[in-house]
Amino acid sequence: MNNFDQIKNALQRIRHFNDLPDEIQQGIAASATHRHFDTGQVIYVEGEPAESIYILEAGWVKATRMTRDGREQAMMFLHPVEVFGDIAVFTGTTYPGTVVALEDVDVWVIPAKTILDLIPRHPDLAMAVIRHLGGRVLHYISLVEDLSLRSVEARLANTLLRNAEVQDGQLIVPRREWTTFDEMAVRLGTVRDVLSRALKTLEAEGLLRVEKQAIILLDPKGLAEHGNL
Amino acid sequence: MTQELHPASDEILRKTLLARFAADNRTAYANLRVGVLNGIAHLAGVVASIETRILAAELAEEVTGVRGVVNRIEAPGAPSPTRTVNLNLQNKKGNSNE
Repeated sequence: MNNFDQIKNALQRIRHFNDLPDEIQQGIAASATHRHFDTGQVIYVEGEPAESIYILEAGWVKATRMTRDGREQAMMFLHPVEVFGDIAVFTGTTYPGTVVALEDVDVWVIPAKTILDLIPRHPDLAMAVIRHLGGRVLHYISLVEDLSLRSVEARLANTLLRNAEVQDGQLIVPRREWTTFDEMAVRLGTVRDVLSRALKTLEAEGLLRVEKQAIILLDPKGLAEHGNL
Repeated sequence: MTQELHPASDEILRKTLLARFAADNRTAYANLRVGVLNGIAHLAGVVASIETRILAAELAEEVTGVRGVVNRIEAPGAPSPTRTVNLNLQNKKGNSNE
């Protein structure tokens, strides 16, 4: 496949961008470059000038932001296919968070100027961007609600339920969804010690069991009640 | 998520750090990437040794106005850039995540 086909294929897998006319897709493809990042590599850091928008084609990335008191807070975990880096480009600021590859990642890098030049001429693209940014606003409203109104236990219960899958008749959260307790703590906006206590509390109540490679959700209904769902 | 409080000083700090890395022949070759937000410097890129990685953080910490350094520079033997970073901003010096 050439660039155009690959970009078109990627765009068609992104909500709001999947029905853009060929002309726009061609415009995006003409300036897009492919990049690969190995696990752990930094795609961009917070405070860098926002010069590109990224389309995540393969792999999983994490966006975090350092709080003023020096604690890392997860903003988003993105799976393919997704757009990221766009908020800073459209607001004319530096990137608000740091994005790192959690596994081998393939992205398309689109110069900010390409998108900013295309938008005034193509209302379809402008609407797609507005809808996408609207989705981001809803995500951050949910994050604010989580961090300000819910306890760590409730956030933990919600996160576990959101990332659970059925394996061998059990509802589990596989290790790849959290990797380490530190990683999970970042995701929940807390620190490892507090997370450990929350896990122990939920485990003592018979709601879950922590194993080496997975967390087994023994009582999803009870967890949902804990999560104020 | 505020980003308007000190944008000018963050940008000045970023330029200062880039100039500092470019002027030092131990770091100049690496074209390190730098972002500064709320006075915290975020470093990325690849260097040849862990000593250079540490040096880059030290150079950044010495810049007046830098409250802390998040060192995500790749180097042989260095921790993964994804690892959890906790800065102790009470201790101005020596607060990189080594």
